[in-house]
Amino acid sequence: VTLLQLALYFGILSVISVGGLPSVMGEVQRIVVEERAWVSASEFVQLYAVGQASPGPNVLIVALIGGKVAGLAGALVSLFAMCGPAAAISWWVSDLWDRFKLSPTRALIQRAMTPMVVGLTGAGGMVLATPDRLPDWRMWGIAALSAAGMLLAKKLNPLWLLAGGGLLGAVLL
Amino acid sequence: MPWAHRVMVEERQWLTPEDFTETVGLCQFLPGPNIGNASIVLGKRWFGLKGAVVAFLGLMALPFVWVMALGSVYMQFSDSALLRAVVTGVGAAGAGLFIATAIKLGKPLARRPAGLATAMGCLLAVGVGRISLLYVLPVVAAVSLFLSYRKQL
Repeated sequence: VTLLQLALYFGILSVISVGGLPSVMGEVQRIVVEERAWVSASEFVQLYAVGQASPGPNVLIVALIGGKVAGLAGALVSLFAMCGPAAAISWWVSDLWDRFKLSPTRALIQRAMTPMVVGLTGAGGMVLATPDRLPDWRMWGIAALSAAGMLLAKKLNPLWLLAGGGLLGAVLL
Repeated sequence: MPWAHRVMVEERQWLTPEDFTETVGLCQFLPGPNIGNASIVLGKRWFGLKGAVVAFLGLMALPFVWVMALGSVYMQFSDSALLRAVVTGVGAAGAGLFIATAIKLGKPLARRPAGLATAMGCLLAVGVGRISLLYVLPVVAAVSLFLSYRKQL
């Protein structure tokens, strides 16, 4: 039953995750932590961190959550549920997209994407920085520093920022 | 994504830079993990269904093993308060990366007050109000499309 629920939830998220995983991070947290209580708020941040620190696409955090909830099967089911529907849409849309290369409708949709993706990605960051809804200046401070680092030092590998976050975490948290 | 650019455009020259930008633009707009979608779109373009499946599995297989291994190692030691603090710090830094990404992507909105307001409304509804995306997304999509249609974006 849990496997089915994982498949269902991540399958839905897959379809609505316009702009990629960051857009639905807040929603994933809401479902996994607040609605279903599969993992605790702090565990969620930690799983996210493990996913972020390990090499590969960030969607793998979904596999970690699934794994935590229902073992290896849960991990595989969650990952495929998160990628499958979106992959099918990509498969189908990529032709259309090429065909309408010069169409004004395409440009219109493209412009409309920006506010959505910006708002949702920012929301994902906020949710991660306030896991249990209580603002914590230490979490916010680390987040602000790493955001500033990414914006100011464009050539810097983000892994350094994550490592710095870990160091500060060890000192502050 | 930066690595994908380095390998596919600079080293192997599978794609021209314009092609890469175009493909990434499409995949950012599509739902789902961007790089996963890119593997489907490119795999399909070059080798059809087989290409898409192989590219996708190639992209995911090894990292999947990695992340599960790292996750289980972490579970073994998660009793340690120090390790928990370190990992939570990494998570907070990751949150910062999201915020930085949002700011970067949002730069074009700086001169578009209506677009900026829409983005902020979306951020507050989901990030602070913790309202389900199932309600927020249709509203924000409708507003954005309307603004885009009225040339406000």
